[in-house]
Amino acid sequence: MTGSPFVIVGASLCAATAAATLRDSGFDGPIVMLGAEDLVPYERPALSKEYLRGGSSIDDTFVRPALWYADNGIDLRTGTTVVQIEPATREVVLAGGERIGYERLLVATGSRNRRLDVEGSDLPGISDLRTVGDSDEIRAAASSGAKVVCIGMGFIGAEVAASLAEMGCIVTVVEIFETTLFRVLGPELGRVVERLHRDHGVTMHFNDKVERFEGDLRVERVVTSGGLSLEADLVVVGIGTEPAMDVMTGTGLDDPAGIPVGPTLETAIPGVFAAGDVARHEHPVFGPIRVEHFDNAIKMGATAARNMLGGSEVFDDPHWFWSDQYDSQIQMAGFAPTWDRMIVRGSLEEGSFCAFLLDERGVVRSSVSLDYKRDVRRSFGLIRSQIVPDPQALEDPDTDLRSLVPQD
Amino acid sequence: MPEFRSVGKGEEIGEGQAMAFDVDGQLIAVARSGGELFAFSDICTHRQCNLSSGGDIDGTAIECECHGSRFDMKTGEVLDGPAVDPIEVFEVREDGEDLQVGV
Repeated sequence: MTGSPFVIVGASLCAATAAATLRDSGFDGPIVMLGAEDLVPYERPALSKEYLRGGSSIDDTFVRPALWYADNGIDLRTGTTVVQIEPATREVVLAGGERIGYERLLVATGSRNRRLDVEGSDLPGISDLRTVGDSDEIRAAASSGAKVVCIGMGFIGAEVAASLAEMGCIVTVVEIFETTLFRVLGPELGRVVERLHRDHGVTMHFNDKVERFEGDLRVERVVTSGGLSLEADLVVVGIGTEPAMDVMTGTGLDDPAGIPVGPTLETAIPGVFAAGDVARHEHPVFGPIRVEHFDNAIKMGATAARNMLGGSEVFDDPHWFWSDQYDSQIQMAGFAPTWDRMIVRGSLEEGSFCAFLLDERGVVRSSVSLDYKRDVRRSFGLIRSQIVPDPQALEDPDTDLRSLVPQD
Repeated sequence: MPEFRSVGKGEEIGEGQAMAFDVDGQLIAVARSGGELFAFSDICTHRQCNLSSGGDIDGTAIECECHGSRFDMKTGEVLDGPAVDPIEVFEVREDGEDLQVGV
């Protein structure tokens, strides 16, 4: 050891998990964590749900209590922007010019929201959601009876639409694809979620997009390419994210698809690791992939930390996540941008099912459930092992999915 | 000394299974794993899902089916997040056919 610290760029769920894992693994050297936001690391799932609806506090979202970092010898510097990483000298450069040398480096800068660049998009009353402050801003404008237009019906858009509808807002959606969650779930499953929102009074306009926002002092109307003019007291934009790559400029790792890392989450620069939303990792089953899930942030942070300490653990997590909307829950695992065949246990019509997406070999690449909680997590072994299960067993609710994977 | 209450019959809970019982308005789950009985609060401390309804049991661990938190059924401690707070645990015994939880 040279005495330089392990430096973590980012102060998020992934970063905090990595720091905790370093300590849990017995590392007692210096750790510096650099976060651009002013808060200690916090979890974001509640920001579109309980926290947005006023049902939980900021403290509830903290990954660890605020004092935990100092108590564990972690030099957490919030409100600190890293502008550049310089692998040649093994330093990070902060805004203001300070340089911090590192023994090992973990980049966990996360992702940022795509912006909607149309006329009027700077008007007050148009929000997007990433931070606690964003959630506060949306809640402040979302009084009961307020007219809200949600742009985009991916997971964040769908969760925000659900929360705002539950808060008594009049919610209208403009979505560029033909149904909700289209890119992730495809048309058939997407329509089941669409129905869930319709049943809760949300009005949805598909195959349409925003042409411009109108209003004097703040947003008043959303005008779409399809010719709609929708009244709006509040607009929430949720049109996807991109990896937050600024600090990687000039390192050769600033790939717009995410920082490329190998199966052990180390980059091509020895001693530099990346994890969480920003990392595009070489997955043994799915190939190169970047995901933005809560569970992935935890597991990748932990694996990266162990490998920073000299481990060689391959990150082969099946990438599981959930989305709570109204009293319903979607769960999903795996990755299947296209699939050959879908097998359903339960019922799409009744909105209670687990669907398995199979490739041409008959291997389960992904599983998706709506209000059928048990089975997505039980399908991890199928996804990991890439065995070809009996389709009838997949369909039969009484077959324990774990029993379909041969034990070694 | 806890007061033991009869909640049902022990045979209702097979190996690797859990079932919840209402004890004075509190939902207490009883699980059987490795031949041993465990009793604990049925309510996950993360988002209040019922642990006994579909929570997978592995050794002394139970995994919440909603968001994947894992708890030690013996000590109540969190083995895996997102939950942070432990679940309450209780004594449990079988008296003949009678299943009893100590509250």
